Amino acid sequence: MSFHLKLVMPSHPRYLSIARAAVGEVGLVHGLPEESCHGITLAVDEALANVIRHAYKGRHDQEMELNCRIVEDRLEFTLLDQGEPPDPARICGQPLDEVSLGGRGTHLIRAVMDEVCYERVPRGNQLRLIKYLPVSKAGVDKK
Amino acid sequence: MDMESRMKSSTRTEKGTVIVDVVGQIDMGSSPVLRKTLLDSLKSTESVAINLSAVRYIDSSGIASLLEVFKAARSSEKRFVMFGVTGAVLQVLQLTRLTGIFEICDTEEQAINA
Repeated sequence: MSFHLKLVMPSHPRYLSIARAAVGEVGLVHGLPEESCHGITLAVDEALANVIRHAYKGRHDQEMELNCRIVEDRLEFTLLDQGEPPDPARICGQPLDEVSLGGRGTHLIRAVMDEVCYERVPRGNQLRLIKYLPVSKAGVDKK
Repeated sequence: MDMESRMKSSTRTEKGTVIVDVVGQIDMGSSPVLRKTLLDSLKSTESVAINLSAVRYIDSSGIASLLEVFKAARSSEKRFVMFGVTGAVLQVLQLTRLTGIFEICDTEEQAINA
């Protein structure tokens, strides 16, 4: 049986700590080093915060969905919301050498994750974040 | 501790420096509170130090708040320094390439006396 975690939560910052705890543990259980576990936790948290801040414009009563699956050699996180589509310029992030106050979340996501893919799907906005598992652990899971 | 934000902060003064001790997680829910605490502290003194040794998590909104305080200190010719920067906090500062921007001290003593 393969692993699949699904969290459906209101778009309120109070629930972000639950998502962080779950994501960190999933990484640990599947053999990611501690620093990588913190990295994927940060990336998913930043992506959810972006949903609250940008897709839902700060509204706290909307629905956001986080799915986490192990697919062969990788951890795959899928975020789904029914808010405004993201600004393409924001998805690209901003140069990190500027001491500006915002826009670092997207850079953090891209710095940590191996693949980042946004799609507009029938259910809304879908962001897919992929982190490859260490080779030895992925091999064990396949058996 | 604020159960919504999972962060707690308190302030004390050592040798004229206001030290803000932070415990818990700094995220988009708690960073506005921390930002206000730091900016208020900066108004009342020439030097503010933030103790991050008990912070287990910080996100980009927390980093943005620290940057805002850093800029406010610089524009008013005051001092904003951080210490206890380890683990998760250090990783985020490195990922955002800000370790060279902030004044970071190893210990509280250094933060007060520097």
